[in-house]
Amino acid sequence: MLGFAKGLAYTFKQMTQPKVTTRYPDEEIEMPDRFRGIQHFDPEKCIVCNQCARICPTDCIQLTGKPHPDPDKKGKVINTYDINFEICILCDLCTEVCPTEAIVMTNNFELATYSRDELFKDMNWLNENNTNVRKENSKNLQGGKKK
Amino acid sequence: MEQYLTQPLSLQTFIIFFASAVALLLLVLGFVTYAIYFERKVIGWMQARIGPNRVGPLGLLQTVADVLKLLLKEDTIPKKADKPLFLIAPIIAFVPSFAVLAVIPFTDKLHFADLGVGLLYYLAISSISTIGVLVGGWASNNKYALIGGMRSAAQMISYEIPLVMSVIGVILITGSLNLIDIVERQREIGMWFIIPQFLGFIIFLIASISELNRTPFDLPEAESELVAGYHVEYSGFRFAFYMLAEYVYVFAMSALTTVLFLGGWLPPFEFLSFIPGIVWFILKFSAVVFFLFWVRATMPRIRVDQLMSLGWKVLLPLALVNIFITAVVKEFIA
Repeated sequence: MLGFAKGLAYTFKQMTQPKVTTRYPDEEIEMPDRFRGIQHFDPEKCIVCNQCARICPTDCIQLTGKPHPDPDKKGKVINTYDINFEICILCDLCTEVCPTEAIVMTNNFELATYSRDELFKDMNWLNENNTNVRKENSKNLQGGKKK
Repeated sequence: MEQYLTQPLSLQTFIIFFASAVALLLLVLGFVTYAIYFERKVIGWMQARIGPNRVGPLGLLQTVADVLKLLLKEDTIPKKADKPLFLIAPIIAFVPSFAVLAVIPFTDKLHFADLGVGLLYYLAISSISTIGVLVGGWASNNKYALIGGMRSAAQMISYEIPLVMSVIGVILITGSLNLIDIVERQREIGMWFIIPQFLGFIIFLIASISELNRTPFDLPEAESELVAGYHVEYSGFRFAFYMLAEYVYVFAMSALTTVLFLGGWLPPFEFLSFIPGIVWFILKFSAVVFFLFWVRATMPRIRVDQLMSLGWKVLLPLALVNIFITAVVKEFIA
């Protein structure tokens, strides 16, 4: 009987306690740094090394390069860069392997669409996805070995 | 109302009866709509959530949307179901829940039928709903529905006995089964029956929660155990009827608790009597309804063997003791 009263008192007190739920669709949720969200792609930095496409466990990245427009310079520049988010598992391997930080993770995660076709994101879309870019990125650049 | 009830039935009185019944039905539907909303809100607050807040301002239209969804759904009838019984069961469950409201006095002026045996009428009619539940479970031709219906019948019959026994104390003190007389008696002795009949009140409260099939006694429905109990095969507006019956009983049982033990429309102190009785009735009624929600947010469901032993081995003997003590006190002291 006493336990019953205790339980009732506890639930009554809970009524005025702050709520633990978030107002997610109304207010954005801030994800922690290191969250693996949708990639941001920067075509300026890309050297078309193909490492991201090769390491991708689901083969969701397709890219093509073209010769550098300035004939004096060696190497290639990126021509098309697509990620298929139907199969992308956001595993972070492409951003880890990228030697120039051309592809980085962001904290955005809203991928729901009405059509599967819309999940096929091209270079422009990935370039424009430049909000909430993750601050802590690949360690490849540290120590000034590359670039 | 009374002058119409004593007249012979004419077209005019029939229209008045019909209109007042419709008015009460609309009032009850409004109550049910917002009782469900309020229940979800209160349970949400107690579980550190917000509760419904998407449909309409503050989620006020949530229940309306839910009911609309239910009415739009297909009315499925299982192929092997006992069709006539299946169709009539929700009606058997709902009609008594609305019929019992006829004897509830809201104030000394505002009431419908003023039966000499009002309390007996309430208890007798309300037990018919059990048949609706049992028939629904049987007619579905589904083992889960049948188990739910059987549990429900066993539970409602077991708890009806302590429920009836617990109000005998009140009847003994009043010397009447008329609900208006019961409230008037509380005015005469100057205190609500919750004080002299505290044991009876506790037994009544527990037995009434069990009669309402609400947590912690919601074994017939038992969302997590029996899929949904006796109404597992029901959908659309037939399911809505069962839900409606359940919440109309919340209305009726809270009103009955208010009348029997909390002094109905009487103010708590004499100097507060300038506030109209209906306000006091609504306040006490709301407190009882809130208590039901509060208990639901607090208690887990009890086991079926605990349920039976609580009803037969604890509540029934206590109710008998209560009757005995009340009779002795009435005989020798009063």
